Amino acid sequence: MRRIFAPILAVGLLFGAAAQAEDTLSPLHWQSQGSFGSYDKAAVQRGFLVYQTVCASCHSANALHYRDLEALGFTPDQVAGIASSVKLADGSPATLNDVFKAPGVGAAAFGGALPPDLSNIETSRPHGLHYIYGLLTGYAAAPASVTLLPGRFYNTAYPGNQIAMPQPLKGNEVTYADGTAATLPQEAADVSEFLAWSADPNLNARHEVGLRAVLFLLFLSIIAIATKRKIWRETV
Amino acid sequence: MSTDVKKSWLASRLPCPAKESGHCAPTMERGRRYGATLPTLISATVLFLLASGLVQAVYYNPAHGFDSIQFILRDVNSGWLIHAFHVTGATMLFAAVYALLFRDIYRRAYKAPGELVWLLRVKLYALLLLVGWLGYALSDGAVSYWSLTGAANAATGLSGVAGAVGRWFFGGPNGAGTVARLEVFHAVLALTVLVTLGAQRCAARALARQAPAPKNPVSCHPYYTAQTFAALSVFALIFAVLVFFAPHFGLNHLNTAASDTLVVPAVLSPPWYLSPVSAVAGVFATAGGGIFGVVAMLAVLAALPWLDRSGTSNKRGKLYRLLIGLLLLDVIGLGWSVSDPACTAAGSLTLVFTIWYFFHFLVLTPLVTALEAE
Repeated sequence: MRRIFAPILAVGLLFGAAAQAEDTLSPLHWQSQGSFGSYDKAAVQRGFLVYQTVCASCHSANALHYRDLEALGFTPDQVAGIASSVKLADGSPATLNDVFKAPGVGAAAFGGALPPDLSNIETSRPHGLHYIYGLLTGYAAAPASVTLLPGRFYNTAYPGNQIAMPQPLKGNEVTYADGTAATLPQEAADVSEFLAWSADPNLNARHEVGLRAVLFLLFLSIIAIATKRKIWRETV
Repeated sequence: MSTDVKKSWLASRLPCPAKESGHCAPTMERGRRYGATLPTLISATVLFLLASGLVQAVYYNPAHGFDSIQFILRDVNSGWLIHAFHVTGATMLFAAVYALLFRDIYRRAYKAPGELVWLLRVKLYALLLLVGWLGYALSDGAVSYWSLTGAANAATGLSGVAGAVGRWFFGGPNGAGTVARLEVFHAVLALTVLVTLGAQRCAARALARQAPAPKNPVSCHPYYTAQTFAALSVFALIFAVLVFFAPHFGLNHLNTAASDTLVVPAVLSPPWYLSPVSAVAGVFATAGGGIFGVVAMLAVLAALPWLDRSGTSNKRGKLYRLLIGLLLLDVIGLGWSVSDPACTAAGSLTLVFTIWYFFHFLVLTPLVTALEAE
């Protein structure tokens, strides 16, 4: 099987590599989209940096452990470094088996609007990738016809357009190690990809196994139907 | 005790009743359609669901339902695959059951002497609705939590025997221990599905034996085993496409968030296979919290052999077939009308579709079948 699939996978990797190099912002797209999509590890790593620097100060991600970050292509040492740099509530450094540190701040600190847990935010919103990207880049001055409620901000993507979260990203919150310019659209796209991974960490394996399973069953079905027809043709 | 030397050691001690005459004996009618393999596909899917359910049951923790499913998805080896098998298996099972019910209605297989098979099929459907809903409640998501809360409130609020059963089943309003009870019922009722399938198979066999012997018979093997294998392969292919490339097919995406006792989501639609029943339950919401609607919906379906007034006539009119096509659209419409709350007419459409459903069975079916039989 491996021999048959190696060329197919090689072609896939070729296109995958091309997708990484190209600009994903115009037109806006993510490598994980579509039936054969897979996560762009560089983008997810950049997205994690944005998450850790900005999002994690108010949002929890209770389904994630620090050990899970190894799936993003970080080395075990890097993940251990990331975990130990996080100080838990009792002051001790986090370990690999700790859940992502929750901010532990009550709703009162946020004017009653508790920031939602981000573990599954992308699957629990329609068109999650586009929604998160649209939300993070959708802050604007309110039109004259809109009167904002106290403590609310105008956002074109949020249902109802009045969101309690102040604009979290404005660009250059982080410095990317790979030299990518940390513009607002780039940060929003990267953190969207990271949250897609957090909601569906098995997407790569699912698509990889799925392609093999579907191809196998496709041939099996063709052979089964042909066999049935042949058997019936022989009866008189 | 004298042992029959011709029988094997086991067969002489454990005589199986109604042993088949052998798979190679030419006893079967020619020209059986692929649709006739549906009961086999249903049995295979139920066994598959039992296996994938068993694996999940050992990891599922009813005190932390949502979190333990996240654990299965993220931390159990291949847990995401087993979970997807179970979720998509439910979709495939209901697709096959809906197809079987409509096939029987279209072919009028429910007519005497097929009433018992038909009643067992409706029973299977009713059981699967309950088991499917219980599994949905076990997912403990933001949407299913409110479905469970509504059902528990309605069931415990009933009066008389129904209320007593409801309070015993749910143990009171939705609270800390409710999901633990439902986990037990989900598993036990899933096993009773097997019993129903067995009874259905026996009844269908008895029916087949009553039929006049075919003029030019073929043997089951290899003719029909080849057909069943082809059907199973295509069924598995569709299943694999859904598991790997559309694992959330027909499910409410809002349910992938954890339940919140203080927040009701904007869209409360159940999985697609429960939505026609959920729509009818919503119409009867004031009468016993929708339970009356569900029972009435299943009761008219079960009464179909007696609502069909064509008697022994085998004439098949075009009008009745047209009505069955309309019924199919009606049931699809019922399901759609609760899944799209953005449509402002959805509420009144649900009412129209519900009225048509009962009008079809209680008025049109007796009328048209009696007219066409003449």
